[in-house]
Amino acid sequence: MDTKKTQGHRHPMSQMIAEINSIFAEIGFVFAEGPEAERELYNFDRLNVPKDHTSRDMQDTFWFRSGDVLAPTVLRTQTSPVQARYMESHTPPIRIIVPGKVFRNEATDATHEAQFYQLEGLYVDKGVSMGHLKGIIEYFFSKFFKGDVEIRFRPSFFPFVEPGVEVDMRLNSGNSKLVGKWIEVMGAGMVHPKVLSDSGIDPKIFSGFAFGIGIDRLGFMKYEFDDIRSLYNGDLRFVNQF
Amino acid sequence: MKVIYDWLKDYVGEEMPSVEKLDELFTFHAFEIDGIEKAGNNNVIDVKVLPDRASDCLSHRGVARELATLIGRPLVKDPLRETISLSPVTEQIKVTIENEENCRRFGAALVTSVAIKESPEWLKERLTALGQRSINNVVDATNYVMLALGQPLHAYDATKFQQTGGVWHFGVRMSRDGEEVTTLSNETYTLGNNVQLITNASTDAPLGIAGVKGGKSAEIDGSTTAIILEAANFNPQVTRRGAQALRLQTDASKRFENNLSPELVPYALKECVEIILAIAGGNCEGYVDVYPNPIRNVPVAVTLSHMNALLGITLTPEIVEDIFTRLGFSYEKNGEGWQVTAPCERMDICIAEDLIAEVGRVYGYEHVAAILPEKRSITEYNALHYYSEKIRECLVAEGFSEVLTSSFSKKDEIELLNALASDKRYLRSTLLKNIEDTLDRNMPNAELLGLSHMQVFEIGTVFEKNAEGNDVTEHSALALGVRTKQTGYSPKDDVRLLEVIGRVEALLGCSLPVTKMQGVYECNLSSLIVSLPLPITYTPYIRNENILFKPYSMYPFMSRDIALWTPEGTKAEDIESLIRTHAGELLLRLSLFDTFSKDGRTSHAFRIIFQSYVKTLTDTEVNERMQVIGDAAVGLGWEVR
Repeated sequence: MDTKKTQGHRHPMSQMIAEINSIFAEIGFVFAEGPEAERELYNFDRLNVPKDHTSRDMQDTFWFRSGDVLAPTVLRTQTSPVQARYMESHTPPIRIIVPGKVFRNEATDATHEAQFYQLEGLYVDKGVSMGHLKGIIEYFFSKFFKGDVEIRFRPSFFPFVEPGVEVDMRLNSGNSKLVGKWIEVMGAGMVHPKVLSDSGIDPKIFSGFAFGIGIDRLGFMKYEFDDIRSLYNGDLRFVNQF
Repeated sequence: MKVIYDWLKDYVGEEMPSVEKLDELFTFHAFEIDGIEKAGNNNVIDVKVLPDRASDCLSHRGVARELATLIGRPLVKDPLRETISLSPVTEQIKVTIENEENCRRFGAALVTSVAIKESPEWLKERLTALGQRSINNVVDATNYVMLALGQPLHAYDATKFQQTGGVWHFGVRMSRDGEEVTTLSNETYTLGNNVQLITNASTDAPLGIAGVKGGKSAEIDGSTTAIILEAANFNPQVTRRGAQALRLQTDASKRFENNLSPELVPYALKECVEIILAIAGGNCEGYVDVYPNPIRNVPVAVTLSHMNALLGITLTPEIVEDIFTRLGFSYEKNGEGWQVTAPCERMDICIAEDLIAEVGRVYGYEHVAAILPEKRSITEYNALHYYSEKIRECLVAEGFSEVLTSSFSKKDEIELLNALASDKRYLRSTLLKNIEDTLDRNMPNAELLGLSHMQVFEIGTVFEKNAEGNDVTEHSALALGVRTKQTGYSPKDDVRLLEVIGRVEALLGCSLPVTKMQGVYECNLSSLIVSLPLPITYTPYIRNENILFKPYSMYPFMSRDIALWTPEGTKAEDIESLIRTHAGELLLRLSLFDTFSKDGRTSHAFRIIFQSYVKTLTDTEVNERMQVIGDAAVGLGWEVR
């Protein structure tokens, strides 16, 4: 049987994750991971999102049945719980990225999926500032989009950071369609002191930043996808283009 | 929070930045703007107020205060800084609060001799511009004050509220199991024991759902002449649990859930009474105000060095103090820092970092200078990622394509509590079903994809019950699928699978578990990796450049074969070029599948795939194209076999 005539194709998601890891490994970020079926404690409480607080409304959540689990459990709504898990088992300096699948209980359309991929970044050390956040994000995007990248922050709110910002980027060189346009790419901020102390890290000594990016969204920018659902329906008319 | 541009002028003054400038100021220093639209003559700005600012900015006054900070001017009118008193006090209203944590303040006013009628134009215009329905002058006044100051209010018809001994006696208590309440919109709810109620304490009958929605029993109508206005403060968690239990989120509950300051109560009550007296007439007989445990903002300490260290900006004490002043925060010097007290309505300023965020955003994050990261080697390698990458590269070289499929399934072991759809109620415990579906779904497109058979794989998480059956566990699975025949599974598929499994085993240096296969194979990758050596380096990932997604047609394709006799020595490329030219935009794929020579002539056989982006092609259309191609070939002296 002649099976080796054609090469197969890697899914663009795994290609992006591999590339992201290569870029961050250069500057000492460890590829960390955590469960997709996550305890409520890590997905919410340890990220300063208490029960009965309106910040929980920011994400629609899939819950497990109480009879199936020993403690309240969700399909993680973000890769951020890995921050808490990693911090409680490691001491600073901490530099990690967490690419992984996340879930939101919301109706799907061309730009929304109930499952998608997120990239978390966390950097905790002595004297970490928003300048480091800006520098590292700029470094990452300039490598990932292969061009000169400008970053700007806008004030925002995420319960596990303070200050919290939305991050926009603008590509200033290259021949991508994106050149010259400001695009909202991620949420980020300085790790909330409560998140640090709840994970056993003294916020009087250490500070840190965290960010979260939708990798699918990066794909829309990088590969010009037009429908997020095509990433997860197993259609090779999509996959075999990459 | 939708705000009317002109309404902000009430507080900021006539001299306002343009709508565009306001958009820019808010975007970079305060809030995202979700949209700006015209409603009649009004510019309505949709301000995205996130939970941290929902205690003060779900109101026009709050948004105006924010704008004043950013333009560095005090408000020309600030209703929350006026000196007011709720007098006279009336003895005709009494309030009994069961739990002072759940109801932190309860204010009320008695207004008699009001005339219920339509609201004046200015009031109707503002409400309708914000998408609210005008009901009558009294109800509109309560809604108006909520939109102005953020404090919800409720008006009761005093006549329908039964008195005891000449006293209207409010109660605030938790509901009892099975208790019923009918709301203003005529919906009757049967309650559990987790909803806070406002009651007539004399009869113990519910008057409304505290902080959520008023009751039907004391509704204002055209014949109402005496009203009691209520402005209270309810515990955010209790309000939230109640609203969630009833699936009843309202403008009021949304505000209480975000921890409003109880200090808003008298200002809102006073303003509402004044508006009602102006538009409905009547006399204010007096007020009550029950506020057993006042909540006051306490000073928060912050230092300049902490601020500069976190923001990565070098601020001077003068800049910081100027920003505190613009925010309306009072401060006292404290060494190289300050003790800062936020005004009462700012319930979000609790720790130093909150102050740092305030100063940072007002000053502007554009001042943060990027600090370039230094190269540093890593000490910890992710084994799952490392080995997954190796497997991917190996399988792709073998002609396999990688898919990612849904984590949800129609029927499996673990059922979600709140599924998205009936066919997504469970979580997958295996990838096999999805891989089989993937083969089924792609097989009809084999020709279109230029594949003689399908080979796919997935690496993904699957979920199952643990050994004890009392918790969920998950692992990474690797699944492979091969399909060689359009008709479905054939034993040849397994032969190929075994061959590829062998390749993976050679790559990893371990054996993969053997299972019964039917064109698909799966193994537990997580447990396999545990036995493998820990990685000590990553292979840098080099990506193919410039691949951009091209949308594919959703319409069926059609295939045709053509074989042409040409003079020996005719190049296949020349024939291809002729076919491409005449097949036109419908040609999707062209492949040479057979060539042989005989008697000085060469036969080239091609398969042509036709597909349209806009419709389903008919046989006639495709035959016409084939005719055109054939005629062109004959024109060159070639012969169609």
